[in-house]
Amino acid sequence: MAHTDIPVLETRRLVLRGPAAEDYPNFKATFTSYRARFMGGPLNPYESWMLYAAEIGHWQIRGYGMWMIHDKGTDETYGMAGGWKPAMWPEAEIAWVIWPDKGGKGYALEATDAVRRYLYREKGWTTAVSYIDPKNLDSIRLAERLGAVKDHDAASIDGHDAVYRHPSPAQLDGSQLAHGIEMEIGHYADPMFKPEGWAVD
Amino acid sequence: MSGFPLPIPVIETERLVLRAPRASDIPAHVALMGSDRSKFIGGPQDEATAWRGFAGSLGHWVLNGYGMWMIADKADDTPLGRVGFINPFGWDEPELGWHLYAAAEGKGIAHEAAVAARTYGAEQLGLDGVISYIDPANVRSLALADRLGARFEREGEVMGHPCHVYRHPMIGEAA
Repeated sequence: MAHTDIPVLETRRLVLRGPAAEDYPNFKATFTSYRARFMGGPLNPYESWMLYAAEIGHWQIRGYGMWMIHDKGTDETYGMAGGWKPAMWPEAEIAWVIWPDKGGKGYALEATDAVRRYLYREKGWTTAVSYIDPKNLDSIRLAERLGAVKDHDAASIDGHDAVYRHPSPAQLDGSQLAHGIEMEIGHYADPMFKPEGWAVD
Repeated sequence: MSGFPLPIPVIETERLVLRAPRASDIPAHVALMGSDRSKFIGGPQDEATAWRGFAGSLGHWVLNGYGMWMIADKADDTPLGRVGFINPFGWDEPELGWHLYAAAEGKGIAHEAAVAARTYGAEQLGLDGVISYIDPANVRSLALADRLGARFEREGEVMGHPCHVYRHPMIGEAA
């Protein structure tokens, strides 16, 4: 059994599809590992299974959710990105996770940019936040590359997370920021591009 | 419902409809899991945990091809509880499970729903002669397992809790 109608999003290098049963092993490997320390983990195998099941069920409850990020050519999975609002979340969140050995190639940027545009255009979101552990520097840097800024006034989930506010659809549309994101993704997609500095998501 | 519904089958009985859980059922589920009534099914749980459990029961259908139905009143669609097959990580094999919301108890609803789910599982899902994990202190569920013709098989454990494993009769043998 599967969701048959979750929209498929295509980007330059990626295809985003609803989470499927066969994608679970990669999710489990990440969420039972140290990589999940900023996402409520590491989880035990039961917790990991239930979280993945909940991410699937989230689609039916909310009408949006987390997509699985696939390589357009090989179908290999790289992580997840999408909209996330379980109980007790103050606002709907744009969230992402990249498998530990797939970071540094701009996949999270490319996928999250696509889901943000989808949620703004197709689902009518007028704003969005990302809840990020203050120690999760890679995710904070990605939020900033996406134009999100720390919102000191917004409610956090439990006081242990920082709230990053994404630019609104109007602030983003046709902006220099949107153009810059597109250019950065283009650089990652260019085989001649060699990023400088340390690896980022 | 705003979401992307799963093709979960619908089963009708004399008084009940077993259908896909939906967002409007969440308050009833959260109330049950927050109460002492949930002590034999993993509770009490806070709202965040109960919500994720509810969402997870939908994903369960995708991951396993079967799962739990919402038991709804045939007349007005009121959610009365849940019944169906449970098999997340850590279970020995698929389990037939059931629980009712407080107002639905004492009317034979769990029996009616469990018979329908068990029959559907055996005939349509290849789940015949399944088990139920029951805490030995859960006298109401023990009584229902007995009425359903399930028999004690062995001591077991689920989620670190010792419990009894009851085995349901195969479909041809069902009482």
